Amino acid sequence: MYNFLYMSEQVHNRLAVIRAERSVSRKQLAEAVGAHYQTIGHIERGQYNPSLDLALRIAEYFELPVEVLFALRPFRPLSDELYGPQGHGNQRDRQDSADRGAR
Amino acid sequence: MTQPTTERAFGDAKKATKYDRAMFRVMNDAAVRPAFATAGRRRAVVSAHAALTVATLTCTSLLYVRDTAWLVAPLAVLLVLWVVATGMLNGGTRGLLELRTRMLDERQRADRDRAGAVAHRAATALLAAAAGVFVLAEAVGADGLPGVPAVWVLVYALAAVWLMPLWVAGLQARDEPADDFADEFQDGAADGAG
Repeated sequence: MYNFLYMSEQVHNRLAVIRAERSVSRKQLAEAVGAHYQTIGHIERGQYNPSLDLALRIAEYFELPVEVLFALRPFRPLSDELYGPQGHGNQRDRQDSADRGAR
Repeated sequence: MTQPTTERAFGDAKKATKYDRAMFRVMNDAAVRPAFATAGRRRAVVSAHAALTVATLTCTSLLYVRDTAWLVAPLAVLLVLWVVATGMLNGGTRGLLELRTRMLDERQRADRDRAGAVAHRAATALLAAAAGVFVLAEAVGADGLPGVPAVWVLVYALAAVWLMPLWVAGLQARDEPADDFADEFQDGAADGAG
């Protein structure tokens, strides 16, 4: 209710995945970027779109480009990005993914 | 601008006073989380607070008008209950309307502005309805509402304007994010280390 007042676009994020990967708690991240821990939870659930300032601070904390964490379109599953949508049988996709990883 | 939102110094948090840090701790006490866990419970707390406010004001006005000593006892009980309910609302909203702006982050400031805007409209509608009742009473020749002195109309109006943002913030609060896996991870690591 009243979300239209401040959320015109859905910004997708993979904050929860990255946080899990790095074993960082919401409170740790919140303290590092100067936000309330609830705000981190609301961002992860898509209930709040962070400002550019906060998004950049989060990206800086994880030492990742901001577009790895936030996007206007839904993210592909990480397994797809790593191994390609064809699964393990596609050798060329695997090679491409390895190249991307190396870059 | 980085907002200090923890009691520890971070960025501009150096400006946070002892009072700010103490209030932050009080407003973020986990004890009230169960009472605010679902939308139904939040509605119940807000309804209870509104009812207690009306009961307390009614009791006070009766005490003033009738000067009956025994009304002091229920008034004292109502006041204690009202203070407890107010604490629950403030804790449930994480001090949205009690903490200073510098202790709120961007999402909380947006939530507070939203609650303020909705509360302004609600209080305006309530006062307009009350004014309409008085005007209508005059129009039908009831000679106003002689049993209600103007001072009490002002007191009730003040209470509505004062508390409406708190009620709206309570109703607009969202569910807490699910338990954090990383907290469990850290607790386990701490247990292992100890």
